[in-house]
Amino acid sequence: MRYFTKQQGQKEAVPVDLEPLGGDRFKLTVNGVTYQVDALALEHGTMSMLVDGQSYSAEFEENGDEVGVLLRGQVNRFDVADERRLRLRAGTAAFSVEGKQLITAPMPGKVVKVLVKVGDEVKEGQGLVVVEAMKMENELKSPKAGKVTELFAKEGTAVENNAKLVVVE
Amino acid sequence: MPKIRKVLVANRGEIAIRVMRTCKELGIATVAVYSEADRSALHVRTADQAYFVGPPPSRESYLVQERILEAAKKSGADAIHPGYGFLSENASFVRACEAAGITFIGPPASAMDAMGEKTRARANMIKAGVPVVPGTTEPIATEAEARDYAQKIGFPIMLKAAGGGGGKGMRRVEGLADFESAWRSAKSEALNAFGNDAVYIEKYLEKPHHVEIQVFADTHGNVIHLNERECSAQRRHQKVVEETPSPILTPELRAKMGEVAVKAAKAVNYVGAGTVEFLVDVHRNFYFLEMNTRLQVEHPVTEWVTGLDLVALQIKVAEGEKLPLLQAPTPNGHSIEVRVYAEDPSRNFMPSPGKITYLRVPGGPNVRDDSGVFPGYTVPNFYDPMISKLSVWAPTRQEAIARAQRALGEYVVKGITTNIRYLKAILAHPEFVGGDYDTGFLGREHTPLQGVEDPKLTDMALLAGAVYAYQRDAKRAKTLPGAKAGASDAANQGRISPWRLALRSRRR
Repeated sequence: MRYFTKQQGQKEAVPVDLEPLGGDRFKLTVNGVTYQVDALALEHGTMSMLVDGQSYSAEFEENGDEVGVLLRGQVNRFDVADERRLRLRAGTAAFSVEGKQLITAPMPGKVVKVLVKVGDEVKEGQGLVVVEAMKMENELKSPKAGKVTELFAKEGTAVENNAKLVVVE
Repeated sequence: MPKIRKVLVANRGEIAIRVMRTCKELGIATVAVYSEADRSALHVRTADQAYFVGPPPSRESYLVQERILEAAKKSGADAIHPGYGFLSENASFVRACEAAGITFIGPPASAMDAMGEKTRARANMIKAGVPVVPGTTEPIATEAEARDYAQKIGFPIMLKAAGGGGGKGMRRVEGLADFESAWRSAKSEALNAFGNDAVYIEKYLEKPHHVEIQVFADTHGNVIHLNERECSAQRRHQKVVEETPSPILTPELRAKMGEVAVKAAKAVNYVGAGTVEFLVDVHRNFYFLEMNTRLQVEHPVTEWVTGLDLVALQIKVAEGEKLPLLQAPTPNGHSIEVRVYAEDPSRNFMPSPGKITYLRVPGGPNVRDDSGVFPGYTVPNFYDPMISKLSVWAPTRQEAIARAQRALGEYVVKGITTNIRYLKAILAHPEFVGGDYDTGFLGREHTPLQGVEDPKLTDMALLAGAVYAYQRDAKRAKTLPGAKAGASDAANQGRISPWRLALRSRRR
């Protein structure tokens, strides 16, 4: 079967072909090279991968639809989907910053400043809300140019991780 | 002075645990204090006794002197160790401890007074004959006077607003040609920012190094220094990597700086552990910056190369014992410490509090990890984001760098983002490896420190990602035949990351 892995910051998804050979063994093809892989999944999102005698320890961390992979000190973040799921998701915001963008709190903290109001036209990269956590103030910026259509953030209130703050369309 | 039997540690996190470890080894009982946010913190379980001191914000808990003293009385503690930060440099707290008949493990209040207020410390040091950054101690009245003074101490100079900081009303002046406009703009900026246009002059140091000397004094008038620590790897005035010996110090310069640091400590009748911070310029002249009247975050590197336990030494001195050595030991080998922060370097170092879902801590020869975290611990967002200090020792600097890299490679923290890869990039940077890096190093090298991608590893990561997705989908299909999303979330609660759950609830 074919998986599409789109790396953060890259435009094109890279196809990876996977053929299960039973147990933990797989035949995998990426960028025109085919590998025989012994991939043992362990607890806590850890995988021991043996490829042509090379040993790779991969650590995984899921973040929404994105999977972070730590391997020999390098971190790659991918959006991985098989063909069926890719079709389902085509046109959703996961693969682009088109359409409605919801800006959420990246961490639990306190809203110390709201820099916009509903109806404001904002530029890409313009500051929207300032959230304070761990003695530091962090300005959250707009991922695109557009109009502020909804505003959930209130100055002085505590917010949970992933709390809705602003919608830019 | 009697032996100390029970110590209350007026702190939290890694430093509280660090102090308790030594207490246990010395057979001294330990008392923890904790805020509402720290009921589940490790320092509470490390201590023999623990007392609640208030709500999460430190000014309502860890900084409330009465609550700390009340906990000390209730627990029967005969001494308080303040750690660093919080009440560690608060002279009124030292006096309150004295009044309550509790030994404060640290310097007397008078020494804190003399060093606490920066301008007063500067004046005290000038009196004691310690070199300070050359400049005027008073604001300058006219441009002509300022110009004369600048020529006397030599360009480049800094014009600084007497009224404040934050870079407002600060102008670097290269020579006479720019003097007039710089003077005018510094004064008007100062007036706008602080309502006060007073400006004074300081010599501008080119590419300074931040080098500090560890000093120790007992109650019998003995003062020694325990060599230096190089702390020039700083980001926004926050130290990130520290090492000893400093790659730029000769034995002669070390002896000279050590002597001056001892003089500074004697001038204020210091007792206990203290650190005298200096700036060292390109010509290797050094100038007093400030004195920290407490144990420093980066004390482990000094412990590695001297073989001493500085917390044990603090306790001995507080018990009235004489220092066990009367001169600085020659540094043995090399030690490097890196600070692991819960922050995301790729998002402008935004703090990353949250739950640590998995943790693998480095080990092996001559590796030390001082931390207060554990798997399942939620890093709260009320306190400093430092979660651990990793320090290593090796016979030479080169080997110490290799060892620190190896240890960082073993470190795995999941659930929150850390600066571990940023630390690896610093240690690999030619300027750091070369050893002559100044305080501007990390500010200048902001972008190259993001690291370069190895395409071979990216391919391997792609393979791993595909297998991971395959196994994940297979597991879902197996465990949840035809189940609805809602039921599957409940069934999979333990396996699905909170991120995913949050995302799903948003989509519904």
